[in-house]
Amino acid sequence: MRHAGKMAASMLGWALRAARQIFPLPCRGQVRGYYVDWRMLRDVKRRKMAYEYADERLRINALRKNNILPKELQEIADKEIAALPRDSCPVRIRNRCVLTSRPRGVKRRWRLSRIVFRHLADHSQMSGIQRAMW
Amino acid sequence: MKVELSSKKKFQLLKKLKSKKQTKDQPESLESASSMFQKATADSKAKRSKPLNPELVEAASAVASSLPFDRKRTVSDLLAQLRKHEEATDAQKRGETTNISNVIADMKIGKRRLNRGVSRPSSQISFDDDDVQGDMLQRGIRSEFAGSKRRGLHLGRRLNIFPVSPIVTEGTPEAESSPTLWDLEFANQIAAVNQKPPRNGFEEMIQWTKEGKLWEFPINNEAGIEDDVEFHEHIFLDKYLEDFTKQGPIRHFMELVTCGLSKNPYLSVKQKAEHIEWFQNYFQEKEELLKEIDDHKKETDLSLERKSLSE
Repeated sequence: MRHAGKMAASMLGWALRAARQIFPLPCRGQVRGYYVDWRMLRDVKRRKMAYEYADERLRINALRKNNILPKELQEIADKEIAALPRDSCPVRIRNRCVLTSRPRGVKRRWRLSRIVFRHLADHSQMSGIQRAMW
Repeated sequence: MKVELSSKKKFQLLKKLKSKKQTKDQPESLESASSMFQKATADSKAKRSKPLNPELVEAASAVASSLPFDRKRTVSDLLAQLRKHEEATDAQKRGETTNISNVIADMKIGKRRLNRGVSRPSSQISFDDDDVQGDMLQRGIRSEFAGSKRRGLHLGRRLNIFPVSPIVTEGTPEAESSPTLWDLEFANQIAAVNQKPPRNGFEEMIQWTKEGKLWEFPINNEAGIEDDVEFHEHIFLDKYLEDFTKQGPIRHFMELVTCGLSKNPYLSVKQKAEHIEWFQNYFQEKEELLKEIDDHKKETDLSLERKSLSE
């Protein structure tokens, strides 16, 4: 399961700030963590839940997706997995931009939206990134 | 016998003689000085239990002859000095310690003027290369106090001013019960205060390595994985299948599961065992259901056979 470290940095200026301190950070000193917006927060919650229930989901799915066990057992397994909390399924996770929480146009390798990526690359703050010319 | 004196000793002797001469210069003190010396010699004669070494006496006389002063006087003075030294050594041998601590105990404590901060005039431009003073300034007064108290508070002779109270030994069992939230908070506070921002890139990297953000170099491929388990325990997982039934679809299913687990290099042996245990618990819970299913199946199979036979 991939954990995206999502610490807010309003270096771009157009990020929305959620004035809510929920998940206190483990490092010492006065550090306040704000996620960029509530959607990002919800995504974080979903990721955590998905991590918790990952093993269970895998096992119940193994029971469901085979030909050997009797169908009645598989039906029961279907009901069980549907009964699990909705946020525990990994399908609900959206790979948002880490800095701006943009849901679309996010490159997976950098976890950044295209706009942020372009901004940083132009200011030569992305290691190994160069403007393409051929 | 000519004795070769070192220049230092010569100067010392000259000093002593000069001081005595000064006392001698005072008009009335001439006789008193001599009388003093006579008394001193008398006292020393009375005190010393053993006579001086004759060799020393000879050496003293030789020294006196080498010096340009009055011979008899110098001899007597030297002998007096020797006697004093002998008494001192005898006293130390016997165990009478010198009374310095006694003397100091009555003296007042002279305060040393601590030079807090830099005492250079502000008009002079000072360039602190390594920012050593900056560190000191940041730390403040505490470090200098620590330096001055390095000798410790409990060394030295006790003055017996205050009555000694019995040592309380109830502190330790209280601490063992459980560190309270206040203690934890206090510990955190101390740790936070002691942390300083890194002065350079190396210290930053050290901090990151301690936190776990940076790997340790040279890279250890097995960092974090402390598997002391051999390969056969990963592959041969049949021992966990002993509790299952030996026939039937469940056994078939579990054998497939173990086959998959044996090929999995990412899970530890514990995780694999947990996986199988979970399935075990699940099937145990559903035992009744499984029995019903079995019965139902048998009925349907029988009915199908009858139908096929009848046809």
